[in-house]
Amino acid sequence: MNVARDLLKHLCEALLRGALTVLTMAVVWELVVRVGGVPSYYLPSLVDVLAAVTVAPGAYVDSALRTIAETVLGFAGGAVFGVLIGVAFFQWKALRDYLFPMFVISQTIPVIAFGAVVVLWFGNTLWAKAVIAFYMTFFPVTVNTLQGLNAVDPRQVALLRSFGANAWQLLTRLRLPAALPQIFVALKLGATLSLLGAIAGEWFGDSVGVGVLLLHAMYNEQIPALWAAIFLAGAIGTLLYAVMSYIETRFVFWRDEL
Amino acid sequence: MDMYTCDSMPSSRSEGSARSKLLSLAGMSKSYSPTVCALNGLDLSIEPGEFITVVGPSGCGKSTLFNIVAGLEEPDAGSEIRFLNKPVNKASELLGQVSFMPQRDLLLPWRTVIDNAILAIELEGKRRADARRIALDMLPEFGLAGFENQYPNQLSGGMRQRVALMRTFLFGRDLMLLDEPFGALDALTRTMMQRWLLDVWQKHRRTIMFITHDVEEALFLGDRVLVMTARPGRIKLELPVTLDRPREPDIVTSPEFIRLKRELLIAIEEESRKSFAPTPSAGH
Repeated sequence: MNVARDLLKHLCEALLRGALTVLTMAVVWELVVRVGGVPSYYLPSLVDVLAAVTVAPGAYVDSALRTIAETVLGFAGGAVFGVLIGVAFFQWKALRDYLFPMFVISQTIPVIAFGAVVVLWFGNTLWAKAVIAFYMTFFPVTVNTLQGLNAVDPRQVALLRSFGANAWQLLTRLRLPAALPQIFVALKLGATLSLLGAIAGEWFGDSVGVGVLLLHAMYNEQIPALWAAIFLAGAIGTLLYAVMSYIETRFVFWRDEL
Repeated sequence: MDMYTCDSMPSSRSEGSARSKLLSLAGMSKSYSPTVCALNGLDLSIEPGEFITVVGPSGCGKSTLFNIVAGLEEPDAGSEIRFLNKPVNKASELLGQVSFMPQRDLLLPWRTVIDNAILAIELEGKRRADARRIALDMLPEFGLAGFENQYPNQLSGGMRQRVALMRTFLFGRDLMLLDEPFGALDALTRTMMQRWLLDVWQKHRRTIMFITHDVEEALFLGDRVLVMTARPGRIKLELPVTLDRPREPDIVTSPEFIRLKRELLIAIEEESRKSFAPTPSAGH
């Protein structure tokens, strides 16, 4: 498929550019550790970090897949819910007046405070983590959707109305497409936040996942394994962000005109 | 802000004409607040197939007039609108009944040329594939052949304006409202577009109401030029353009053209001076 090939090319280019930076940083890291004589407790050699992965690669692959599944599930749910609620708030002012304050309050509670309750409700399942990822995603998407819908050029609205457009047509032909750039800002933010939510969720109890790897390494003072888990989390975050950026460039190709 | 009030000027409409009118407005007023009045007792009628141009000082309520005729704003109570010989109770009944083209092209940046052109007829409920087929046949006439799949940001200002005009023409209503469509174009492109618009109008025989700041443009294009007063706006002068069609570009140097132009300039000058007057003393 053309789209798949484009995606691959986009990723490859991003990776190539990133690779140079990463390589430079890795060299500096190794130099600091070896020449500077930093104790491995503070900063392990990258060779040791790599070794930690190669000892049990299966655990890392499983954890990554699990955490990605939780993140993507929660993120997708949060994105869809966020856009729908944003549209609903836009169409019905009363709904916004009553519910929006509740949304804001819900977001002032740190997600960690909810963790235990979510595990009680959903058990040690994939769903529990997805719910936390969802909770992290939907709010910024709601806010940006609402903002984007409100920011549409009133002259454009007048033009479509003069053509006899109804409310549904105004929404689908004008307001939603015009709000896409704003929505994508929130989606990219949400991709990173939902990963944070999934990892935090895993800390409330599970046996597999990047959060679990982090926790185990910390308790057992396996410093190279801890760094390996950190890098894995970073890689997943970067991957999700890159995918969202790519989708953005395909859907909002006209953005520079605004 | 303006301090004029609408103390209902009497309508000076003449009831005599038996010819069918496409649109007639009588005693049209519009105030935005007790102290801000955009239109006051405006009378106007348009016959089918006419090309009417409207000139007037800045802020004289030309755009308000267009917004009301397009159905986007309601006039004050007591204003009379008849469209296609039927009374119109609320201006919003006119939504979807006239082809309106605002000053800016307002093309949707995520739609290609062809999809922008079919926007209005698509909203009407025509299937996209059918609408595209009709539009494709019209592209050459609008100088857009081969550009159907370009996006607006790939086009020049003149081309964007032609896409917007094509969107307006495709909408197929009896009355087209063009609000300074060429205002943002350079002089050369503008002249070309004027000639082109006359060609297209003569071929399609549509009724056009055209707002402009440019007196020469108003004369070159119109069958009748309406001069509006300074705020609150009403019709100050109705000048029939006694120039033969088709009009060649060099008509602007003919004595008749220059005579009409002088008459218009005097009327506009008078109104412009009013709108710059230090105190609002609009004679009532």
